[in-house]
Amino acid sequence: MTVALTSALTAPLTALAPLPGDRATLIALAAAKSPRAISLPLAARLKPWLYAGAFLALFIACCIDLQLGPQVLGDGFTKLGAITGAMLPPSDGGNLVHLLRVIAQTLAIAVLGTLFGIIFAIPLGLVAARNIIGNRVVHFAIRRLLDIFRGIPVLVWALIMVAAIGLGPIAGIVAIAFADIPRLAKLFAEALENADERQRQSVRVTGARVSAVIRFGFLPQILPVVLSQCLYFLEQNFRSAAVVGIVGGGGIGYELQERIRIFAFDEVAFITLLFVATVALLDFGSGRLRARLS
Amino acid sequence: MRPQLSLAPDDGARLAFERDWLRRARQSRRQTLVWSLATLLLLLASVQLSEVTTSAVGAGWTERVADFIDRLFPVLRLDSLFAGRDVTGSLARWYYDLPRWLAAMRETIEMAFVGTVVGGAIALLLAFLAARNLTPHRGLRVFIRRGFDFARSVPDAVLALLFAVAFALGPVAGALTLIVTTVGALGKLFSEAMENAHGRQIEAVKATGGSWILQMRYGVIPQLLPQLLSYWLLRMETNLAIAASLGIIGAGGIGIELDRSISFIEFDTYLAILLLTIACIFMLDMMSELIRHRLTGPSH
Repeated sequence: MTVALTSALTAPLTALAPLPGDRATLIALAAAKSPRAISLPLAARLKPWLYAGAFLALFIACCIDLQLGPQVLGDGFTKLGAITGAMLPPSDGGNLVHLLRVIAQTLAIAVLGTLFGIIFAIPLGLVAARNIIGNRVVHFAIRRLLDIFRGIPVLVWALIMVAAIGLGPIAGIVAIAFADIPRLAKLFAEALENADERQRQSVRVTGARVSAVIRFGFLPQILPVVLSQCLYFLEQNFRSAAVVGIVGGGGIGYELQERIRIFAFDEVAFITLLFVATVALLDFGSGRLRARLS
Repeated sequence: MRPQLSLAPDDGARLAFERDWLRRARQSRRQTLVWSLATLLLLLASVQLSEVTTSAVGAGWTERVADFIDRLFPVLRLDSLFAGRDVTGSLARWYYDLPRWLAAMRETIEMAFVGTVVGGAIALLLAFLAARNLTPHRGLRVFIRRGFDFARSVPDAVLALLFAVAFALGPVAGALTLIVTTVGALGKLFSEAMENAHGRQIEAVKATGGSWILQMRYGVIPQLLPQLLSYWLLRMETNLAIAASLGIIGAGGIGIELDRSISFIEFDTYLAILLLTIACIFMLDMMSELIRHRLTGPSH
């Protein structure tokens, strides 16, 4: 009987004959055939719940350590409600022209920061590319170094640059460039590694000079990728440029921080909305350009 | 150098091809020229607007930077490297406040964890409503999408400053900031992942009479779980770096120590804390990367 049932279970569905026997034996047989489909052992069933419990315990411990309780949250959100109320209606405080100029300055900081980032990332990217520098030790060392510096956020760079160079947009530009260099270098290296060798070879076999091999066999492949990444970094850096201003790196961050300090929340709301609108505009334009590139 | 056309008069097709090719080359050249000029103009305008040339870094900035770099590196002597804290040139003197920095680092990690967990949970719930193929209501979808966009474009530091006014300076403001930005970032990624989910599993649950919630639970989540978890872990890495930096503007954690060392002009202390932070972030990133590779295989 067992043989008959097993063959019935393995037979294609269309050829399924009505199974003999009652429900209990059927389940027992199916369980014998594929034990984990019918019922998991207790340990396996408990495992996800144990993980979830441990995770929850960790989360609660973190909340307790941060003093993130209902009391704090309740008080805070009441105050936050008052702040939001004070934001309405947003007001430009009578200096719209000045604010627009500062937004443009923020964009300028982002553009120059990205430019310097690109300039310094190109040689690093060349060195970090496996198909340019063959030495595996050098390649590994450079990659790890880039990984380590990639972890430093732009605000940390801005703080140190303001201390080193002094208040002003130059510190912001240098901070953005420093934060970008390791990230861009890694992307450049990857673009170089992904470039198709055959295209270069086909130019080389025509007897072209090295410059022509690079111009026709290499650049057409990587330039669109690299340009599109640079545009993407410009979008991100516009946000960073707003942040570096808070520690004294020039741009809109300084204006925002001043107004938060004097509780002029209606102007804070106005500047934030203006900034968000500019971000949307820049993202839209840059997105269109990137779509054309790819 | 333009190729000379020396063709038989009846070779019209080839002539047309040459003409077309020349026209295209000219057009491409013109386009490159226009874009290069536009970029140049943008750069010149940026130089003008950013006041780089006029803002007074002042004379003698090379000496200032040199002095800064000199102060940045600690005094370390090989013979007294492992001596006590009171000996000049020892590691213990350089890292004189290590226990407090480690406590601050723990706070930063906790901030990042809480922010990513809560933000990720909210993002997951909203993503179901924001995915084109799953949403129960289209107007709701557009509304939530715009919310995600907004949460991503408000600079995190500005949010942190606002939360710091409401919740006092400290890690709570940082955690809340991270929650908002995480909802924006992960909500977008999650909903896009869900839009690429296979419809057949969802239909299978629907065919057995499963409600919308059951369809999401058994039709969507199982097939996307590795991808969603991987995004979530990546965000954890990002949030850790953001949490470290938000402290600089008063949101708790290691950033406060960084800021303090700068205001006391202890640049070698700054370097010590920075190295500690980088090491912690790097180790946690490696852990997260290991888990991500186990989840999705090495291809992701």
